[in-house]
Amino acid sequence: MKNFQQNLQKLEAADTQVLGVSMDSPFANKAFADQIGVKFPLASDWGGEVTRQYGVYVDEYKAARRINFLIGKDGKILEEQLDKEAIDPTKIVAACQRPKLKQ
Amino acid sequence: MRKRLLAGLTAWLLVSGVVSPTLSAAKENQPAPPKLKVGDTAPDFKLQYFDGNDLKDVSLSQYRGKKNVVLAFYIFAFTGG
Repeated sequence: MKNFQQNLQKLEAADTQVLGVSMDSPFANKAFADQIGVKFPLASDWGGEVTRQYGVYVDEYKAARRINFLIGKDGKILEEQLDKEAIDPTKIVAACQRPKLKQ
Repeated sequence: MRKRLLAGLTAWLLVSGVVSPTLSAAKENQPAPPKLKVGDTAPDFKLQYFDGNDLKDVSLSQYRGKKNVVLAFYIFAFTGG
């Protein structure tokens, strides 16, 4: 999440809203956001309904796997980053900055 | 000649029969690919976050036609990045 915060200006300049999601409570996520200096919402999927809907629930953790989705204005998925690859969002930042997404 | 061909074919069948179960076993140890692929429509959702004072709703549909959305799932709060 820190890596998204570091790229937040670029993402916002490219018309992109960042939302973190975990199965923690909204209050824990706010405390986490404050601790690491994250200014975008960290949403709570308490119970994991959305995590399951997106197919990213992991039985072993009883929680989500690490994954980033870039969703376009039309609601279609444009990019995905999975597990370790998802720690560094450079690919997503670059995709947002591609001219066709700026329309 | 025909016998040799047949033997070759049998050997090939055997080898591929032996190799393919090993390959699929190795595949099972790899992390599964995500259910949703690039190009799929992202399912709408409504979630809540706490802004310090109130619980706020956030949905995917509220950004439709306005903004791209990065949806970043992470495992647990307070565990690194």
